[in-house]
Amino acid sequence: MAAIPLQRVKRPATGRRFLRRPSLGRTPLARREARWGLIFLSPWIVGFFAFTFLPMMASLAFSLTNLTLAQEEPLQFVGIRNYDAMLHDTQVWESIGNTLRFAAFNLPIAIVIPFVVALVLSSPSLRASGLFRTLFFLPYVIPFVSGVLAWQGMLNIETGWVDGVLRLIGVQDPPNWLQDPSLVYPSLIFIGLWGIGAGVIVNLAGLRAVPTELYDAVHIDGGGYWSSLRNVTLPLMSPVIFYSLILGIVDVLQYFLVPLVLYNGSGEPGGTTLFFNLLLYKTAFGYQNFAYGSAMAWLLFAMTLAITLLVFRSARRWVFYAGER
Amino acid sequence: MPAHPFRPGVLLTAFALLATACSGSSATSPSPSASAAPSVAASVAPSKGPATVPPGGPVEIRWYCCLGGGEAPAQKKVEDQVVKDFNASHPNIHVTFEVVTYEGNVSNEQLATELQAGNGPDVVGPVGIGGANAFKGQWLDLAPLITKNNYDLSGFPQSVVDIYKLDEGQVGIPFAIYPSALFYRKSAFEEAGLNEPPHKYGEKYKKADGTEVDWTYDVAREIAKKLTVDTNNKDATQADFNPKKISQWGFELQRDDLRGTGAYFGAGSLSSGPDGKSVQIPDAWVAGWKYMYQSIWTDHIDMTGPQFESKDINPNDYPFFNKKLAMSENFLWSTYGLPAVDDWDMAAIPAYNGTQTSVLNADTFRILKSTKHPDEAFEFLTYLLGDASEALLTTYGGFPARTADQASGIAALQKQFKNQVDWQVAVDGADHPDNPNFESWMPAYNESLSLVGSGGKYLTRWTTMPGLDMDQEISKLKAELQGIWNKAH
Repeated sequence: MAAIPLQRVKRPATGRRFLRRPSLGRTPLARREARWGLIFLSPWIVGFFAFTFLPMMASLAFSLTNLTLAQEEPLQFVGIRNYDAMLHDTQVWESIGNTLRFAAFNLPIAIVIPFVVALVLSSPSLRASGLFRTLFFLPYVIPFVSGVLAWQGMLNIETGWVDGVLRLIGVQDPPNWLQDPSLVYPSLIFIGLWGIGAGVIVNLAGLRAVPTELYDAVHIDGGGYWSSLRNVTLPLMSPVIFYSLILGIVDVLQYFLVPLVLYNGSGEPGGTTLFFNLLLYKTAFGYQNFAYGSAMAWLLFAMTLAITLLVFRSARRWVFYAGER
Repeated sequence: MPAHPFRPGVLLTAFALLATACSGSSATSPSPSASAAPSVAASVAPSKGPATVPPGGPVEIRWYCCLGGGEAPAQKKVEDQVVKDFNASHPNIHVTFEVVTYEGNVSNEQLATELQAGNGPDVVGPVGIGGANAFKGQWLDLAPLITKNNYDLSGFPQSVVDIYKLDEGQVGIPFAIYPSALFYRKSAFEEAGLNEPPHKYGEKYKKADGTEVDWTYDVAREIAKKLTVDTNNKDATQADFNPKKISQWGFELQRDDLRGTGAYFGAGSLSSGPDGKSVQIPDAWVAGWKYMYQSIWTDHIDMTGPQFESKDINPNDYPFFNKKLAMSENFLWSTYGLPAVDDWDMAAIPAYNGTQTSVLNADTFRILKSTKHPDEAFEFLTYLLGDASEALLTTYGGFPARTADQASGIAALQKQFKNQVDWQVAVDGADHPDNPNFESWMPAYNESLSLVGSGGKYLTRWTTMPGLDMDQEISKLKAELQGIWNKAH
């Protein structure tokens, strides 16, 4: 089928230029294509509607009620009472603080380390790069809970090999990685690095897409490695970094599994691991307060959306799309 | 093409949303009329199913386990067999057995989710007093079914029947009781040159020099130091004892629930005041918690949290199962892990302030109020409490609540072990229970457990952090708990 030519359309209101395909809705062929497109998309649409959209709307409705499992009071519409209660709930604010503090440590590392590893793995001077790629990706295929339990054993102050090695080299009192409040975030971040395989793969794919002619141009201009990195690699990788950043923000705001497995959701040591999503889960399913838990879920959604929109807005300043004019 | 192609979609969405919201709430909010429904159904439906398969096929009954016990592989084998036998002998009912692990409170949270979704099981158990309190208001009042089926309760002590008689009705029929005892390894005492602890409640302890003293927690601490040994075979009373290289600990307190840990020092309840909404920590519990903290961090006779959690030191739930302990306070259900320990026996719980308290667990099976088949569920329940009870009690390590079955229950328990065990200790322990029971109802039950329950904040904190000021810690716990209770009202 012949490609439909692109047309330049000028919008007088803004004066900005857009590339737009001519309308497809009027020809029988276009309608047939659209119909088949919808048919192929329908499993996802139905799934999204049934398992994401409807539960979301149901949780919004729940958040405006006094729904609990015990339901000691009659079920009733309470308006924004649950949202108002959250504003005065110190535990909610503490958990948001914990989440943001952890995000401040974790996010840069979760973005930078996979990028650096991908840079090393794509280096032409690295031998057996296929082997290293496999080794870095391998932990990702192991169920994360198993990985967390393995790390729990390794970081155990009594019998873990990490402190065992430290004792061997003369450290009398090795750190209590998982119970010392000042060490717990570094330890959690360290455990999180276990699963960077997917991030490395994304970065590797991005690096492969950088045209080698651009590096040649830098060399011809007398630039070295750092110049290539700054002027070619980073700008062309910025969409990938942006993508990783967005996913990283969503992931870290929903941080949940590791503290649940390691600390049974107790928030220990010293309340440092009571993250917002964990408190949400405990409130809804542990304390059986579904209405308040739903309100917390919507607060999490709003926070995630707000931060993501801010990052999207900032993207105009630092994300470079090669095809963009 | 219509001018507003999405209008029907919007209407459909709104309808679906309303339908979802309404079905969710109506299925899970037990309004007075909804809660009465099963009882009504129970009073009109036939008490026994037909001996043959009904035209629509057998009634499906779901048995949900495990809110505390019953998930060990050996136990599951027995439970599977019970279900198989029941299904073979009751063609009108088909029971499905569902095991969800108690680890990490998973079974509790999954049951809450199923109930909220209107997809709850029919029969739940074995479930203890605490496990059932987590679902207060969800249990079916069995009284109409007991009456209709002429189920005989006279074989149980009335006091045990009354445990399950709550403001919600008769929510359970007694099944198993688990008194506590001091489990100990004879060889550890022999190696240390110590006499074994007394088996009879009120009996004195005979020290190595022959003098007799009251069997108290202070005495238990002293002998526990002798029984705590490092890798160089030095005990905790010796100057060159190395607490960082302990190979055997002297005395493990029950640490599943801080309320239980406290109750071994004396029965009590956190709930006080005319409305039960004021937190009052019993003095005996304060003493018990301080004793535990000192045992872990000062005397080193008890394991720290990381030691207890280490799969190298404690691979099988409790370190006594792995011969890492000389003495361990625990419930009778912990016998499931003891076949590998060939020289264990039971002794009386030590006294605090002149009182010996054998903290009690009591399990049974319950029917959920949301069941659609109360009669068939009751038929299965009575099978569990009747024909299947011996096999189940044996695998759970429980004493039969039915008085007439206790002798055969002990014989069945003994069959599991090569060493002769003094089961009379447990029988006597049942006469020294904690009353009120440590798992009794308290406001905001589930949220309160996040502080004092299994894996709760303060238990984790006290077993992992040395150098804490326990008076300050207990004050903080009290204030935090009161905050939760205030919020709940």
